[in-house]
Amino acid sequence: MPVRVVDNSAPSQVSGANSGNTSPPACSLLSVGQAFSGTQNVSNLQKEEAWRVNVRIQGCDLEHGYLCGTMEALNVPMADTPVSVIFFSQQQLNCVYPFHPILSESPCKLISHLIVFNDVQVVTFWEGEIVDTKNYTFYTGKWEAAPEDDIRHWTKFQSFSPLLNQVEVDGGKSLDLSNYHHIFMRWKEQYFVNVGTDCGLTIAGFYYVCFSCSDGSINGFYYDPNSRYFFAAISDSKFWLSNCLFFEIVCQ
Amino acid sequence: MPTTTGTGTGTGTSTTGILHRLASDDQDVKLKALRELKNQIIGNRTKKLSFLKLGAVPAVAAILADAVSADDVINDNNYDNKNNDHNYSVNKNIIVQSAAVLGSFACGFDAGVQAVLEAGAFPNLSRLLSNLDDKVVGAGARSLKMIYQSKFAPKYDFLEEKNVEFLLSLLNNGNENVNGLGASIITHSCKTSLEQKILFDAGVLKKLTSLLKGSLSQRDASLESLATIFKNNPEVVLKFVGPDSGRALGSIIELVKDRFIRTRLLASSCLIVIRNTSPCYLQDVGIKAKLINTLLELLDDPGQIGEEASFAFSSLITQKEDMQKLAFELNAIDKLYNHLQKGSLHPRRFEGILLALADMCSKLECCRARFLSLQVLNLVIDALAHESADVRTAACICLRSVSRSIKNLSAGYFMNETVVIPLVQLLNDPSTSVQVAALGAISNIVVDLTTRRSTFIRCGGVKQLVQLSKSMDATIRLNALWALRNLMFLAENKCKEGVFSELTAPLLASLICDPESFVQEQALALVRNLIDGCIDSVEYMFAEDGVIFDAVGRQLQSASKAEIGIQGMYVLSNVATGKEFHKEAVINQLLPHADNGTQSCIIKFLQSNDSRLRTAAVWAIVNLTCSSPGAFSRRVKLRDTGIVSQMKEMVNDPCLDVKLRVRTALGQFTTFEDGSI
Repeated sequence: MPVRVVDNSAPSQVSGANSGNTSPPACSLLSVGQAFSGTQNVSNLQKEEAWRVNVRIQGCDLEHGYLCGTMEALNVPMADTPVSVIFFSQQQLNCVYPFHPILSESPCKLISHLIVFNDVQVVTFWEGEIVDTKNYTFYTGKWEAAPEDDIRHWTKFQSFSPLLNQVEVDGGKSLDLSNYHHIFMRWKEQYFVNVGTDCGLTIAGFYYVCFSCSDGSINGFYYDPNSRYFFAAISDSKFWLSNCLFFEIVCQ
Repeated sequence: MPTTTGTGTGTGTSTTGILHRLASDDQDVKLKALRELKNQIIGNRTKKLSFLKLGAVPAVAAILADAVSADDVINDNNYDNKNNDHNYSVNKNIIVQSAAVLGSFACGFDAGVQAVLEAGAFPNLSRLLSNLDDKVVGAGARSLKMIYQSKFAPKYDFLEEKNVEFLLSLLNNGNENVNGLGASIITHSCKTSLEQKILFDAGVLKKLTSLLKGSLSQRDASLESLATIFKNNPEVVLKFVGPDSGRALGSIIELVKDRFIRTRLLASSCLIVIRNTSPCYLQDVGIKAKLINTLLELLDDPGQIGEEASFAFSSLITQKEDMQKLAFELNAIDKLYNHLQKGSLHPRRFEGILLALADMCSKLECCRARFLSLQVLNLVIDALAHESADVRTAACICLRSVSRSIKNLSAGYFMNETVVIPLVQLLNDPSTSVQVAALGAISNIVVDLTTRRSTFIRCGGVKQLVQLSKSMDATIRLNALWALRNLMFLAENKCKEGVFSELTAPLLASLICDPESFVQEQALALVRNLIDGCIDSVEYMFAEDGVIFDAVGRQLQSASKAEIGIQGMYVLSNVATGKEFHKEAVINQLLPHADNGTQSCIIKFLQSNDSRLRTAAVWAIVNLTCSSPGAFSRRVKLRDTGIVSQMKEMVNDPCLDVKLRVRTALGQFTTFEDGSI
């Protein structure tokens, strides 16, 4: 029997009297142990390629707006493009994920770098900042990202539109995101787990990420100001919320 | 020139010689022997022990008792010319010297305190306080003060009104030794908030505040007592820091800069107690930085002050991220490391520095990064094999703190034989606190995300953990299971097989039903991590006639707290990702009592006040009802039990996570209803 669902997903502005929690809500889909996998679509003007990517959440500390995990790219192709777009779909992830090749050299050389990693996996460890208005706002304030870069990227997410006006005023500091259905984050890769830094790949940039609490899908855009070739696109992802596994670690 | 050893002849200054002369009938000889004894034992623990073994304390206590009686007789007879009488004067000196000897035995030496108390000297020392002679009063007060500095001293009862009056008289006395005694009594015996309030109401705080302006010993004694009265009593702190006493607080802050290091330490400790009791006070960054810098400077003292400074530093920063950040900015990690590097540290100092480092690294990643870049880890690993159990415990706690970093764990910094082997060895340590601390460190270190857990297994770690999970001590069982649970997180199948064969299904089932609920919770969390989606891992639940699965079901029916329900429901959610047979087993487990009118546990969980439990319960339903051959009949069973009606009441759940998961679950039921029409 259908029931009426009250949707309170619109963000509200914090009034002076509101001293309660305004951070995004805890979401069981974005918890330690959750794994996402899908296909990374690499595209530029000439051609499109794809490779598989797995993401695993390994740490989550909402109080400090912190999230971390690993990204694993499988069967990294002989990509000759600096740009990639990925979809995650096994559980619920849909992410724009350019596993970014070093761009300081010519495209030809780039190909030879990446050949080394054909049919192997490359794993990186990343740390995330959750935009919770307490620890982090929509303005990055580092990694060479100016407020206009931030706005330009955040506005690529449809779910960001209702927030735009307030973010332009104060970076979103006064927004109440406690009942918002999307969680915005920045993910920054910190190091390669299984290959050396001379692997021909770079992790110099970072990702603007939007996570949907409703369906667990993730969209993301890579930003690296030193990349001359970068562009990214978002596509819908197919996902299904079933047979979810739940693990947990608690450090003492 | 006095000798320190040798057999006595009865007349020399040797140990037995002094004892022999203490028994002399000649009062002058006795007095001289007392003085010699006092000089030999002052500050010399070995001598104290040596004389203690020879029975010096009862002998001196008896001398004191006799001298006090003789003094009473003289005073009772109101002898006019007593001050000019040689015997009277010698008797007074014997009282003073015997009291001093007993005080010296008691000073910083618990065995000495016990001996003095057992010899019955305490009442006689107390009587000296009412003597007419100031010297006698001072000697008695000094000795009693030494006794009150030990935990073995008798408890002073502040609930007796006359005792409080007496205490006030001590604090009001003109003799600073007597004031010191009063302060020591407070420091030793004031433990409860009621006692703190009684002392505050009696005006003790005012008196102690006035002593802050007194001599060095009065200041120090006052600071220590003030801290005792403030501790964990925000009401008293509020009254002290309030408008009337703001100046007193200012005096304490000033004393942090005193030229005497003990005063600096005591003033700092007093302010830390005020801050920890009422965090709203002393928030000025200048004061916070002053406290941190003072305590770090005091570490340089080679004596007891240096040892205690690190513990005071820990109490200043523990659990307080802002203080840890400030201390980090003031180079605390580097300074602590410099002390650690000196080597050959006294165990107490070593322990204190390790615990201070542990507190520094307990929350902040920047501290852990600095710790690792300075290579402090190597020194901490060495400390795991220290002869002192306290140092070994502190080293484990330090490792536990540093290894809280998922970033560092993921980089595989800790899972190597240099760290793992000594830690696993400590699981056999004779000290329970070392074992528990080692388990704490291991719990974090096994969260190795680089699939190097084999290192831990090769070192015999799993066998040890399983062994400790059978311990009679519930804390050890808890921590051993905690480590196994984290070890299972995303572990390879081979690792899981190894752990399961060691642990066995019956043992795991019995731990799920452990008498202690916190052990039950860990055991369930372990099982939750064990089931990783592959069918073999789900089958663990059904090994040995499903003994584990049945245990989980029993715990869910009788869950004593939300955490048990949460872990149990996630276990069932994970099992429900298996084959049809597994899903059927879960639904039968969840709805066993539906036919006999008993409320199903899942309905109870959906109605829980704890949103985490509601979320876990909805996830089990989602996994049971998602598209699969047997989903239809399971949906029917769940609907007939009233689950759908219950969930419809939850579509506007105040918790967003619950609300969204309920929508997913109801969506699956709606699909089923549409299909059935």
